[in-house]
Amino acid sequence: MKKSLVFTYGLLIVLTLVTALISNADLFSDDIILLILFFSSIKFLLVAFQFMELKKANPFWKYSLSLVLGVLVLVIFLMK
Amino acid sequence: MEILKINYKNIYYPPGGILMWIIIFLELITFGMAMVALVFYGSEQTELFHQSRLQLNTTFGAINTVFLLSSGFFMANAVQQFKEKNIQKSSFYFKLTMLGGILFLILKSLEYYHKIESGISLDTNMFFTFYWLLTGFHLIHVIIGLVILIWTNCGMTKQNSDTQIEDVEACAAFWHMCDLIWLLLFPILYLIF
Repeated sequence: MKKSLVFTYGLLIVLTLVTALISNADLFSDDIILLILFFSSIKFLLVAFQFMELKKANPFWKYSLSLVLGVLVLVIFLMK
Repeated sequence: MEILKINYKNIYYPPGGILMWIIIFLELITFGMAMVALVFYGSEQTELFHQSRLQLNTTFGAINTVFLLSSGFFMANAVQQFKEKNIQKSSFYFKLTMLGGILFLILKSLEYYHKIESGISLDTNMFFTFYWLLTGFHLIHVIIGLVILIWTNCGMTKQNSDTQIEDVEACAAFWHMCDLIWLLLFPILYLIF
């Protein structure tokens, strides 16, 4: 079992727990939404770059996926 | 120990194959547009969407996230072991991956059962129309992913198997795509309204 995969998995679980905790926290609504979307984006990129090995791919694929995620999250945050 | 090498830096050979990545992008954009539509309607009917969201079981959603992430972790290990030609170990991780997917299906079925018992259907309101359609389409992807996993696992463990690393990576890429969609779907449906 590769150490980088174990570390990524641990980080994903921690981020999931943190997201679950902050969704119930007593913060301003916009701050919570921003944090939830931020942590979800980090998890998305961790799965894509580490588990799917996109880190080894041509930069075209890395930037394209990051761009799609960035645009989607930005549009959702602005509309919310 | 011999490790199989593919030149992933070539634009035509992303891990999983170019066709699989085209599918992944199309799926992400399609689900993404549906999520934008959900948020658009949510901004017009704030109270309705908030009250509807509160009827969803966030704990089930979070546990399902853990199931899919664990499943994805085992899938990544299965690919790694296959590259190192440890077919038996790879097959073991394949089975753990499938277990994660099956646990996801069981919990999702339980969640659907509770919703149907409560009389919540596709036409209850706009929020639940999106809930059933988005989670339903995602569920279909998970089921198809499981079929691909079973198929690939059977193929690679056969004697004189012709399963190549490209096949295993394509199978893994499809499975991870289910993770990616869920990682966006879960916060948007279950948390932000």
